[in-house]
Amino acid sequence: MRLPKFEYFEPETLEEALRLLAEWRERVCVLAGGTDVLVKMRNGRLKPGAVIALERISSLNGIGFDLRKGLTIGAGAKLSDVTSHPDILRYYPAIARAARVMANVQVRNMGTIGGNLCNAAPSAENAPPLMALGAVVTAASLEEERRITLDDFFRGPGLTAMKPEEIMTSIFVPTPPANSGASYQRISARCGVDIAAVSVGAMIMIEDTVCREVRIALGAVAPVPMRALSAEAFLKEKVWSEEFLREAARISADESRPISDVRASLEFRKQMVAVMTQRALEEAYGRAIKR
Amino acid sequence: MQTVLYVTDDQERKGNKEIMEEFTVIGKRISKVDAVDKATGRALYIQDFKLPGMLYGKILYSKYPHARIIRVNTEKAKALPGVITVLTGEDIPPVRLGVYKDNPPLKAGKVRSYRDEVAAVAATDLETAREAINLIEVTYEAVPAIFDPEEALKPEAPLVHENHKTNLLKMPWNLHYGDVEAAKIEAAFNVEERFSTTWVTHCCMGTSGAIADFDHADNLTVYTNTQIPSLAQKDFQETLKVLGFKDKRVRVIKPCIGGGFGSKLDTYAYEHVAILLAWRSRRPVKIVFEREEEFCATSPRQPTVTYISMGCDKEGKLLYRDMSMVLDNGAYTSWGATTPSVMMMPITSLYRVPNVRYNAKCVYTNNTYSQAMRGYGNPQATFAIESAMDMLAEAAGIDRVEFRRINSNQPGDVTPQGLKITTCGLPECIEAVSRDLEFGRPREKGVGVGLASLIHVGGGARIYKSDGCGTIIKMDDYGKVDVFTGASDMGQGADTIIAQIVAEELGVKVEDVHVFHQDTDICPWDVGAHASRTTFVAGNSALGAARKIRHRLLNMASETTGIDEDKLTLKNRAFFADGKQVLPIGKLLRGSHFKPRGEMMMADNFYDPPNENMGRDFSGNMSATYSFGTHGVRVKVDEATGKVEILDYIAAHDVGRAINPMLLDGQVHGGVLMGVGYALTEQVILENGRNMNPDFRDYKILTAMDAIHSKAVVIETVDEQGPFGAKGIGEPGCVPTAPAIANAIYDAIGVRIKDLPITPEKVLAAIKKKNGAVSCGIDAFTQKEQPCE
Ligand SMILES: Cc1cc2nc3c(=O)[nH]c(=O)nc-3n(C[C@H](O)[C@H](O)[C@H](O)COP(=O)(O)OP(=O)(O)OC[C@H]3O[C@@H](n4cnc5c(N)ncnc54)[C@H](O)[C@@H]3O)c2cc1C
Repeated sequence: MRLPKFEYFEPETLEEALRLLAEWRERVCVLAGGTDVLVKMRNGRLKPGAVIALERISSLNGIGFDLRKGLTIGAGAKLSDVTSHPDILRYYPAIARAARVMANVQVRNMGTIGGNLCNAAPSAENAPPLMALGAVVTAASLEEERRITLDDFFRGPGLTAMKPEEIMTSIFVPTPPANSGASYQRISARCGVDIAAVSVGAMIMIEDTVCREVRIALGAVAPVPMRALSAEAFLKEKVWSEEFLREAARISADESRPISDVRASLEFRKQMVAVMTQRALEEAYGRAIKR
Repeated sequence: MQTVLYVTDDQERKGNKEIMEEFTVIGKRISKVDAVDKATGRALYIQDFKLPGMLYGKILYSKYPHARIIRVNTEKAKALPGVITVLTGEDIPPVRLGVYKDNPPLKAGKVRSYRDEVAAVAATDLETAREAINLIEVTYEAVPAIFDPEEALKPEAPLVHENHKTNLLKMPWNLHYGDVEAAKIEAAFNVEERFSTTWVTHCCMGTSGAIADFDHADNLTVYTNTQIPSLAQKDFQETLKVLGFKDKRVRVIKPCIGGGFGSKLDTYAYEHVAILLAWRSRRPVKIVFEREEEFCATSPRQPTVTYISMGCDKEGKLLYRDMSMVLDNGAYTSWGATTPSVMMMPITSLYRVPNVRYNAKCVYTNNTYSQAMRGYGNPQATFAIESAMDMLAEAAGIDRVEFRRINSNQPGDVTPQGLKITTCGLPECIEAVSRDLEFGRPREKGVGVGLASLIHVGGGARIYKSDGCGTIIKMDDYGKVDVFTGASDMGQGADTIIAQIVAEELGVKVEDVHVFHQDTDICPWDVGAHASRTTFVAGNSALGAARKIRHRLLNMASETTGIDEDKLTLKNRAFFADGKQVLPIGKLLRGSHFKPRGEMMMADNFYDPPNENMGRDFSGNMSATYSFGTHGVRVKVDEATGKVEILDYIAAHDVGRAINPMLLDGQVHGGVLMGVGYALTEQVILENGRNMNPDFRDYKILTAMDAIHSKAVVIETVDEQGPFGAKGIGEPGCVPTAPAIANAIYDAIGVRIKDLPITPEKVLAAIKKKNGAVSCGIDAFTQKEQPCE
């Protein structure tokens, strides 16, 4: 379908972009890699009066790591850069994996991690591992710059805590604590180019076989990516065991709120929450005790 | 991907190896002749065509699965600037389409499925046409609809076509050879089971499209994506007749086609709508489908419910096979309804089985209507047969491979249906698969192997009175060859195969041969690209024409050179005697008409294979030869998620002769991948008749990233009837895949999945059931306990 007419801007600084955003307000759409935006424009679900492309704002694209503080990923970093960054591969394998198993080569070369979060699909691939690792995003407007934890970021399908005049600039992930490990697991109908039917991100910290810290985030099983708080509470301060692991997986399935659609039934999704949670925790545990 | 070539012992004894080495073109891995054009964008598809003054057409589809049309208001659409013509079912003469002639291109009075065409618009540009469609107001009155074919057979079911009085199509697919009841008593081991398959669709890369164009004298040219140019010509001719045009010329031009797979075996409403819009507007009209339309408004493979029972004696010899089926025909009738004619072949003739009975009912429902798709019913039938073969082998306590060896077809067999099996590489295919997959290998947890075989027509299939194909060949003054074939290339490589056959026979290079296949004004008649018949039938037709030319060339060369004809050989674009070149072909050809009583080098040939129409009892030797194959697969099943992973795949096919092993690979690997999708992931999800997944996000065709490691084994039996010994291979690749995978899953985890596709959910439910669970949870749609399965 031919796209309706729209203005197109390619600002080179964040400030310029924010000014345009403030000027056009609701009628504008921010474009990062465009792999969600263009699909929506083409099928007529999105009809912006103007499009602001972020690609030329180089300050949004970097990835930096500081062992004492943590990882800062520019909102405009390409998914393919996330999957191949040596520090991410070494310290945040769950993040690298989420960005690697999603979509296909072409989409990963265009799509950004910020776009994936701002698009706020219930199945957004990068959300569960980032939530599990306690990520915080930074949103900037002409007035201020503020930090939003990822736990508070998602408000509904396609809805976020960001204001229309804000642009996401970066995502910060603290350095994982010693003796911790994380994992990302997902299942879909086919292997390639497929939306996850269920995905799970998990992080645990183990001290003398006791599970001191645990965070579990579920994707595609509720209107927004969600934490499995009951399962986390159950596991916390417990001595690691097969039995507790299985119970935690069961609890997380219980607290998930999936729907049935053409991709999977509610029942199957619940079962898979348990399986994926168990596998994520197992892998996270394996990594935790290795480090 | 990997290909291995085996020549059967028999052929080796005949010294066929030596003959093979003499070929210069046959048997060579030659790139498709249109490969570069397609890769570089030179090839023209329907999307690329634009005629002067051309309008763009759009179709409005029904909003209900079954409803009366109370009123259609087109005023607003007509008033939109740029709109030239708006048509509804009321505005057109009674054109009827399809096998049963039950389908008007635009519906009046009633719609019978969501895909029903209610109105159409032609406008100066596509956007306007799209807008205009949305301005048409239709008032419907919904009536009760029926979506389940078994339910539709009940007396209280709503009628899809009132005049037809019943939802059961009047096509009595019934056969009984031998005595099945007596054999049931005699059998030592019996199995009985129900299997089902679902809707899947062709997913052609190029979407459907057509342009209709009348000239000043009302002659009609239709540019269209079709596998049947000659039959389409006839259909369009009929539409012209209804419009009141007599003795007009209809020309069908077939652009490059981005995939057929059976989807283009009939003419469709959109083609006739383009004609009607062009007729009304007196301008060329183009209709091209968008992807969503391609999913919703083309005809998929039909679902089947199959009941099978099968038995064998103590030694494992099959005694009988008894099958009955219900097919969802959908709301109108195209070739989907006739697929039982091909299902009969595996049912009566896959393995030796003396007593067979088969009954099939095609049933009208308010679903989309069904069509031919690669294999033409064979995959559905083979899924039930080969699943049941494993069950019977287990019941009889016989190894699965051995069981198939015992019952394998053999050369010289005549099957109960009267199929005369000549060359038959099935035993070699079974051996190749069992050897390669190491069936006896110690098992790992969750890993299993399975196999399944197939029989398919390999020498045409006589469905019409004629199963023929015409060819014209002409040579120019420089030894270049133009071949005008009736065959339809739709991407499968027919043009390359024909070029190879002609080049071999005429001693020229493949690049010297240009194959024309796209225009009924230029090319001779052919019945269409179906039944894996093109290499065999069009190949033989081209070979016959080339032989005539070769004969004349040798004759003339002998006259010119004074050397005996049998001392001359024709190769490398020249004549040779005693190993020395004596005369280039071009020189001879130029001489042939620059002289008194000159002549042109042209020949034609019509080839109609020696096969038979089926008789009243459905018996008859449908094809001039039969293709066989066996597929084997090793799977790993994740018992926690139900996901099936394919570790190894081997596809062994008896192809007669591999004319082009590279294209053969393409057919086999492509067929296998289509079969894997059929087995595991693909499904058109119809919810009360509405397509719920009309895009590639949710229609799970396998992607390049899902491609499996597969190995193609080619068994050459060199069939006497085939061109250079070749048999058809277009469809077989996707026929036995699903049962091979289902059998491997059973081997891996001990559960048998009887309904396609084998989704993780079904596998999990089956595991639960095996472990004794009765309920498999609450169904989200119905909010009711669902039984496991
Ligand atoms: C074939 C295909 C397969 C896909 N497969 C997957 C998959 O498996 N898993 C998955 O999760 N997704 C998948 N996607 C979706 C998509 O690719 C991802 O969500 C991607 O990360 C989006 O990034 P983008 O840069 O292209 O976003 P864009 O399309 O540019 O933007 C997405 C949204 O975010 C907003 N936005 C972008 N950047 C910012 C910013 N810095 N500040 C504020 N708002 C911003 C935009 O306005 C828009 O609303 C797939 C898409 C396609 C086309």
